[in-house]
Amino acid sequence: MKFTKLNKFTMKNPLIQVFKFVYLSVKIMFVVALGHGSTRN
Amino acid sequence: MAKIVILGAGIAGHTAAAHLRRKLNKTHEVLVVSPNSNYQWVPSNIWVGIGKMTSKDIIFPLKPLYKKKGIGFKQAKVMSFYPEGSNQLIKPHVKVEYVTGEREGTEELVDYDYLINATGPKLAFDLTPGLIPGIHNTYSVCTFGHATEAWKALKELIATVKKTGENAKIIIGTGHAKSTCQGAAFEYILNVEKVINDSGLRDKFEITWLSNEYDLGDFGMDGMLLKYGRKNISSAEMVKSVFEDRGIKWITKSGVNKIEKGVAFYENLAGERKEAHFDFAMLIPAFSGHGFKSYDKAGQENTSKLFKGFMLVDADYSSKPYEEWTAQDWPETYQNPSYDNIFAPGIAFAPPHSISRPRKNEAGTEIYPAPPRTGMPSGITAKLVADNIIDQIKNNNKNLSHKGSMANMGAACIASAGYGAFSGSGVSITTFPIVPDYKKYPKTQGRKLGKTFGDIGLAGHWLKLTLHYAFLYKAKMKPFWWIIPE
Ligand SMILES: Cc1cc2nc3c(=O)[nH]c(=O)nc-3n(C[C@H](O)[C@H](O)[C@H](O)COP(=O)(O)OP(=O)(O)OC[C@H]3O[C@@H](n4cnc5c(N)ncnc54)[C@H](O)[C@@H]3O)c2cc1C
Repeated sequence: MKFTKLNKFTMKNPLIQVFKFVYLSVKIMFVVALGHGSTRN
Repeated sequence: MAKIVILGAGIAGHTAAAHLRRKLNKTHEVLVVSPNSNYQWVPSNIWVGIGKMTSKDIIFPLKPLYKKKGIGFKQAKVMSFYPEGSNQLIKPHVKVEYVTGEREGTEELVDYDYLINATGPKLAFDLTPGLIPGIHNTYSVCTFGHATEAWKALKELIATVKKTGENAKIIIGTGHAKSTCQGAAFEYILNVEKVINDSGLRDKFEITWLSNEYDLGDFGMDGMLLKYGRKNISSAEMVKSVFEDRGIKWITKSGVNKIEKGVAFYENLAGERKEAHFDFAMLIPAFSGHGFKSYDKAGQENTSKLFKGFMLVDADYSSKPYEEWTAQDWPETYQNPSYDNIFAPGIAFAPPHSISRPRKNEAGTEIYPAPPRTGMPSGITAKLVADNIIDQIKNNNKNLSHKGSMANMGAACIASAGYGAFSGSGVSITTFPIVPDYKKYPKTQGRKLGKTFGDIGLAGHWLKLTLHYAFLYKAKMKPFWWIIPE
C-alpha cells in the first residue's frame, strides 16, 4: 500500500479531519466501552 | 470493617484506589503503598522525549490528592509477602520499606484484608548488558525522567549535526529479544522523525527501526488484520507504508543482546550475529517481575504460590504449543489461585504465554515479543478487581461476577505519529479482542474485522491529545471523573 497524494491530502486536511475526529471518537468508544467479559462460558 | 492495601500507584493501582474510595464508605480503609510521589501519565512520555511536553505536564503529586479523598498513602516499596501472616503479625501482611523522608530505609509490616498487587513491571535494563539509559548513547522513554534525558540528548545531536553538517544514525525499537511495548517505540520513532524533519535536517539522518517482531506491526499481538478505509490490510502492511512514506528503514526478527557505546549487537532468527551503529538510540528494555518473595505462616518461603516472575492469577499456565493456545487461557478475575484475597491487575499479573507466536533460531535463542498489557486493559482490570472486592465487602458476594479477559476485551491504541496542532498525525488502531480468539474469528486472524480497524491522520493526534487531558482529569479525580471510561 502506498499513500497517494489524495490519501495524504485527506490525512492532513483539518476540515476533513474534524469529521474524522468525531467519527473515530464514537467508533473507538463503541469498540472499547461496549463491555468486556468472560471467555469461559 | 475492611482494609484494602494497593501496591503501586500507576494506572492500575491508582484506578483501583479511586474506584474503591468512591464506592466504599469511610469505615473501610483504602491504603496505597508506592515508591513514587507523583502519578505519571506514562503514554505522554513520548512527547516529553521530543520536547513537546515537560514532566510537569504529565505528572501530579499523589499525597495531597489522596489526603483530600481519604485514601491512605505510604511512600514505600513492598519487599516481601506474608499472605498467611507470620510470627510477628497474625493477619496477612506485606513488609514495606519507606523510600523517602525521616523514615527512609525503615521497614514496616502492613496488614490487609484484601491486597491488590499493581506493581507493574521492573524495567529490566540489566538483562541487556550495556543498555543503561543515558549511557552508551542509549536512552529510554519509559519514565518521565528517562524521557527528559532522551530529549536533551536528541536535541544536542540535532544541534551537532546542524553545526558540523555530518550525518547521524538513530535506532529505535526493542533492546532485548523478548521486549514488549513495541507500540511506544513505534510512536517514538515517528515523533523523532517528525522533529528531525521539522529541523530541516532529515537528509542528514538515517533512522532505523530495530525490533524483535517477526514482521512490522506485530506489536506483541501477533499482528492483526484490520479494516483500513474500505480495504482489509495487515498491520504489517500499514506500518510498512508509514515507514516507507517517512523514509524509515527497518530490521525485524532481531534480538539485541549487548550494547557498547554507539553499537547494538543483535542476533536474528536466521542465526546471524550483527551490529547496528548509532549516535542516538531509544530501545525498550525487557520487562520482568520484581523478584518479590513470599513466606507462609511458619516462615518457609512459598514464592511459587504467588509468583512466576509476575503474580499468578486465574490463568491457565500449563505449557502447551502455540497451536493449542486458546482464548480461555487468559485470566478473567486476576485473583491469585492460592490466596483468594490477593489480586493482580495491570502489568503485574503473569500472562499464561505470549500473544505473538514464539520463535527461536537454530542456536536456541528465543526472539519474539512478550505480551503487552497497555494502559486501557490495565485500567479495566483494576476497576473490575475493585468492583469484585466491593461486592464482597458490601454484599458478601464472593462470586467475582466482574470479569474481563483480554481475549474478550477491545483496546484502542492511538499512536502519536508526530506532534502539532495542524501538522501532527496519529495512527489509530483498535483491536477486538486484544488476545486473538482464533476459534471465534477463524477467518480474520482471531479478531473481529470492523471492530479491528486502523486510521492515519491529523485526527489521531487530536485524539491522543484529548485522551491525555481526559485521563489526567480522571486521575486527578475531578468532578464526575468516573464517567470517563478506563
Ligand atoms: C513510553 C510508553 C508509552 C506508552 N503508551 C501507551 C499508550 O499510548 N496507550 C496505552 O494504553 N498504553 C501505553 N503504554 C503502556 C502503559 O503505560 C502501561 O500499560 C501502564 O502504565 C501499566 O500500568 P500498571 O499500573 O500496571 O504499571 P505501572 O504504570 O508500571 O505502575 C506500577 C506502579 O507500581 C509501583 N511499584 C513498583 N515497584 C513497587 C514496589 N516494590 N512496591 C510498591 N509499588 C511499586 C510503581 O512505582 C508504579 O507506581 C505506554 C508505556 C510506555 C512505557
